[in-house]
Amino acid sequence: MEQTVKNPADGTSAYNFAYLDEQTKRMIRRALLKAVAIPGYQVPFAGREMPMPYGWGTGGVQVTAAVIGPNDTLKVIDQGADDTTNAVSIRQFFAKTAQVATTEKTAEASIIQTRHRIPEKELREDQVLVYQVPIPEPLRFLEPRETETRKMHALEEYGLMHVKLYEDIARHGHIATTYAYPVMVDDRYVMDPSPTPKFDNPKMNDMAALQLFGAGREKRIYALPPYTKVKSLDFDDHPFEVQTWEDECGMCGARDSYLDEVILDDQGNRMFVCSDTDYCAERQEAGHRGPQHHDQPLSNSKREKAAE
Amino acid sequence: MNLQTSELLPGFDHAAFDSNAVFRALLDAMSRPGRIYDLPVNISAPDGLNAAATATLLAMADMDTTVWLSKSCSTKAAGDHLKFHCGCPISTDVKQADFAVARISDDLSFVTDLAVGNAEYPDQSATLILMVDEISDSPSMTLKGPGIKDTHSLAIKNLPESFHRWRADNHHLFPCGVDVIFASPTQIAALSRTTRIEVN
Repeated sequence: MEQTVKNPADGTSAYNFAYLDEQTKRMIRRALLKAVAIPGYQVPFAGREMPMPYGWGTGGVQVTAAVIGPNDTLKVIDQGADDTTNAVSIRQFFAKTAQVATTEKTAEASIIQTRHRIPEKELREDQVLVYQVPIPEPLRFLEPRETETRKMHALEEYGLMHVKLYEDIARHGHIATTYAYPVMVDDRYVMDPSPTPKFDNPKMNDMAALQLFGAGREKRIYALPPYTKVKSLDFDDHPFEVQTWEDECGMCGARDSYLDEVILDDQGNRMFVCSDTDYCAERQEAGHRGPQHHDQPLSNSKREKAAE
Repeated sequence: MNLQTSELLPGFDHAAFDSNAVFRALLDAMSRPGRIYDLPVNISAPDGLNAAATATLLAMADMDTTVWLSKSCSTKAAGDHLKFHCGCPISTDVKQADFAVARISDDLSFVTDLAVGNAEYPDQSATLILMVDEISDSPSMTLKGPGIKDTHSLAIKNLPESFHRWRADNHHLFPCGVDVIFASPTQIAALSRTTRIEVN
């Protein structure tokens, strides 16, 4: 394998392995080592412009580019799915610029870059999970000044965040925050888990895999080493809980996974399907069936519709 | 003919792949304190440094990082090697160091002068690269903290008592503090500032 990617037209070298130059990778790598040493603390880094717009995962891409080696296998998911535009384009980006193997199977990946989900399958020690983060500062909507939020983290002054959660309870009777639900890392830093549904928060606690977070526009990197205590903020009388559903996945019948709602028509018909496409496909291969799977018998209402 | 350049040792065979492999070993070591990783590359070390310390500096140091070398490490060969391959400034003021390199047999009293960062920017701290003869997982130290499932065992040959006192003080500074990379000729292990050490 070559360290430089060749220009297909004339064979001249086009760019360095994994797109970024070596000095940029070293800068990101130094930030990553600090981030791992101070779990939950946001390390500033000199984020580069990437060949994709902010909001498309430039932070995650830079972290992946600094970490990925020629022997890695990359999986990219967007809201749990391997086949959405963002996931496909980032996977192709690294297939082209680093010539690494890619996969859609969670178990086969050594690096998983994710936007807004954690895979349902439990991750292993030899895997790295890279999150794309839009706004890394959990206190930003409560305090817009960076100088102030930095002081609040320094002084461990997180009262404002508890007031926000309390106002949820006062207004709605329960904590209404459902995604980007703030967590306390190793009893020290309050951290934004990126806009993952709070359903995924418990998976972050004590995870065997290394978790790295990259925010490209805000130029921050943070990390959770394996087996780190990650606690979702709550109150004694309003303990943290994840969402539960009555419904099952229409394709694989899973009741333990995070479900997306799919609108079927304008008559109010809808179905639910696993947001983690690999988890769902694996269950279907194993023979699990949900009511809307194509090889399931049509229910009465559907048969009437089909007859129309 | 320039004698200096002809005496220089080569750096990485493949800058992109080798620095990535060394970094991955360092990332694994720092995120799992006390676990021992083999140096993934063959690299020649200049007089004054060993292979793992040289590989760490070549992978991590450049013109943006100041390197400080202890007396026994700061040979002309080491200085020339780092200046040529990393282009890093080498300071004689330990307070300026982003990476401080020392040998375990050195007088380690300098460690209290290393930058620990500040409450708002605890990442502005130094990393100590300590060259040692032997790293093993025999239980002379029991480590706990983030990155460690239950406990990790680590033994560093000839680690002085003063080191443990310094680490205990360092741990209390959290989130400030100094991270340590132990570099034996063929292996690396790390202590993050979060790691709690029990000496057995």
